[in-house]
Amino acid sequence: MLENDTSKERYIELNMGPQHPSTHGVLRLKLLLDGETVKKVEPVIGYLHRNAEKICELDFYCDALIYFDRMDYVGAMNMEVGYLEAAEKLLNIEPPERVLWIRTIMAELNRIASHLVWAGAFGLDLGMLTPFFYVFEQREKVLDLFTEICGSRQETNYMSIGGVYQDFNDKIIYKIKEFTKHFPKTLEEVYNLFVKNDVFISRTKNIGILEPEVALDYGVTGPMLRASGVPYDVRKAEPYLVYDKLNFDIPISKRKDVLARFIVRFEEMRQSVKIINQAIDKIPDGPYFNPKAKKSLMVRLRGEGDVYARTESTKGEFGVYMVGDGSVKPYRVHVRSPSFKNLSVLPYLSRDVLIADMVAISGSIDLVFGEVDR
Amino acid sequence: MAYEVKEEKSKDGRKVMRIERDHLLELLKDMKNDGFDSLSLLTCVDYRDRIEVVYHLTNSKTEEMLVVKSETRDSRMPSVTSLYESANWDEREQYDMMGVVFEGHPNLKRILLPEGWVGHPLRKDYDLSKVQYVNMDDEGNDYVSFDPGDGW
Amino acid sequence: MNLLLRIADILSILGHYPSFILAYIIETLIVIIFAVVVIAGMVFFFRKYMARVQMRLGPNRVGKGGVLQVMADGLKLIQKESILPEGRDDLAYKIAPILIFFGLIMGFIFIPYGPLAWFGYLTVSHSDVSLIIIFALLAIMPIGEVLSGISSNNKYAVLGALRGVAKDISFEVPMMLSILAVVMMASVKVSDPLNINGVVVAQSIPFAILEPLGFFIFLISMAARASYSPFDMGESDSELVTGNTTEYSGLRFGLFYLGLFGTIFLGSMLISTIYLGGYYGPFTNYLGFIWLLIKTLVLVVISLTIWLSMPRVRIDKFVNFGWKYLLPLSFINLIITGIIIFGGIA
Repeated sequence: MLENDTSKERYIELNMGPQHPSTHGVLRLKLLLDGETVKKVEPVIGYLHRNAEKICELDFYCDALIYFDRMDYVGAMNMEVGYLEAAEKLLNIEPPERVLWIRTIMAELNRIASHLVWAGAFGLDLGMLTPFFYVFEQREKVLDLFTEICGSRQETNYMSIGGVYQDFNDKIIYKIKEFTKHFPKTLEEVYNLFVKNDVFISRTKNIGILEPEVALDYGVTGPMLRASGVPYDVRKAEPYLVYDKLNFDIPISKRKDVLARFIVRFEEMRQSVKIINQAIDKIPDGPYFNPKAKKSLMVRLRGEGDVYARTESTKGEFGVYMVGDGSVKPYRVHVRSPSFKNLSVLPYLSRDVLIADMVAISGSIDLVFGEVDR
Repeated sequence: MAYEVKEEKSKDGRKVMRIERDHLLELLKDMKNDGFDSLSLLTCVDYRDRIEVVYHLTNSKTEEMLVVKSETRDSRMPSVTSLYESANWDEREQYDMMGVVFEGHPNLKRILLPEGWVGHPLRKDYDLSKVQYVNMDDEGNDYVSFDPGDGW
Repeated sequence: MNLLLRIADILSILGHYPSFILAYIIETLIVIIFAVVVIAGMVFFFRKYMARVQMRLGPNRVGKGGVLQVMADGLKLIQKESILPEGRDDLAYKIAPILIFFGLIMGFIFIPYGPLAWFGYLTVSHSDVSLIIIFALLAIMPIGEVLSGISSNNKYAVLGALRGVAKDISFEVPMMLSILAVVMMASVKVSDPLNINGVVVAQSIPFAILEPLGFFIFLISMAARASYSPFDMGESDSELVTGNTTEYSGLRFGLFYLGLFGTIFLGSMLISTIYLGGYYGPFTNYLGFIWLLIKTLVLVVISLTIWLSMPRVRIDKFVNFGWKYLLPLSFINLIITGIIIFGGIA
């Protein structure tokens, strides 16, 4: 189409990124503009590529975890859960009951933190500076909890095969309860800061409409897919950890636009609070790691066969496909990264929209480049 | 059915269908008509003598998952982009990492690594000791060289 | 008595004409220094205020409570290397920030500052058409924007400049029409309605009360002229990096930055002069200037609050708003004003 257009002089070619304020890291977009209208978008990725899949093949099963932390660095706990779901299935190691509950709580806390970061960055994309600091204050509280529990903020490296690094004690449980008590109020404040602003609504309403069939065709998952009206969530579809023992809803929206993605993510945070509140009350006593996978034995773990574990990370369906050949190192690890798939729909969504809308759409996808490029 | 399918179970209890490469497209088309409307994952595993290509399909209504496995010995596969749009980037990624050429793909070029990269990193015979440097030429296109001082 | 005469009086030993010329120069300098100090103060206040709104501390290292931070930043900008882009249109590139700053400072000279205690009236320039002059000067600033955009050989800058122009022409016509209504209203009471001082004198009742519609239009126009959020589509940092100022650095960038804050202050001053009674208030003869400052500062705080709480309006929506709503509204405002005048209400 455009390649054969003889009147190519009227189009402006614009290179956005990899250093650009709104590309969320190192996304590079090649734009073809007709004035303000975007005619064609070509994402160029790979600027943060480290080939974690190859590195995993070179290391022991237990060592690969830290590379997963660094994939989606704002939702590291969910990455760890995703890796361990696959690795524990492959290595035939059952984590104790208490560990599953702890992991669930941590994953949901991290989901809150990740969605908060997204909301702040999305506000910045639309030129809204102030909510960024409001959400980061709350996110910092979650990260303080992480520091308390596992000693680091973002790349936590908290979980390990067959267990977790440290047990919950009463103080931590009390602090998490305090957080979930005060957080919903602030969440509503921030939510109102956005949705009660007419300019915000006019910037997001009916922008970037993604039909459910198209979303499924492109392999879009997570809040993006649910905002298009498909109630698909791995936590319900194929429950892992203890999600089948908890009572929560999957928020969907029929609006299909950028505003819908915003609303769905905020509703997910409310559901996360609900999940944490239930889990923290039900958490059973017991050991916090499986003795079969204690530190001295960890490098000797062997696995054979192939497994695919899918989990619902903060961005969407995070899948780890792992093949073992009976040695102490994985034979092949493939990561299905949700941001990668969600990004692939950007050229479709940004045909014939304005630059401002394209920025809003790419902001609504929730890209984290550690995960797209791996 | 015009093709033969070997059914088995994977280690985590998923239904696996093994199919010859020639009949892969027919099988996937039938599966798509059966309601598997999303290609969740497309990956390749290098077994040195052959490359196994694995497709994970999801049914968004019943939330089932189906694994389709096929293999290639000459690094060629039919592209499934005509059935699933998401295969577009996935196949580019697998071409980039594994060197599997997906025939019929509309835009088969490297996606994560720059054009001109030598070798496919996830192949088992990839030489890790060889260092490659990426630079940008005057037109803004990436190119790869083996000289660490190039471009400085 | 006014400040000019006071200075000339002190300098009267030099003779009549030299003393007046020198007095003019001195007073102009005073106003320029006032403008720069006010803008610097505003930058500091803005940063502190923004920090307060966003639950941060803001500048707090240089000087007591960070008061010297602005000065330090200014020094930093001055001594920084100005990186010049390749393939630029050299003259246009260099003249653009100067044009913006020039238009701004000249705007300050024509504002009627009102009387202050012993100094008397502080107004520098008296002209019968100062209202027209001041808007002509304000219209220089978009030229600077456009020049900086097209001369820096950068696609972001071009897009930013295009947006800036589209934005400017969509609010400038309604703005001038609302000023026309003000002139009509003022002409009932004073003989020199095109003199901005005459407009102030005519406001025994502030025009904001007589012409709420015009006030609203002018408020929006001034916000759009200063191009802060929600009207910062020209520089929109998340889309076009920083629009027309993308390629500027060092002192030239500093001039753009001063231009932004200066326009907010000048705009607030114009609003309070034209619509809120300017220097009128209790004890006008002694505290007129203080009243003007208070009104201006209140408007500045309102502007900054809007800046901090609004996302960016999309350019096409703003252009639509300008032509489809502001323009008809300004005509309606004109008609209402005419009815009020001929009905003899005012």
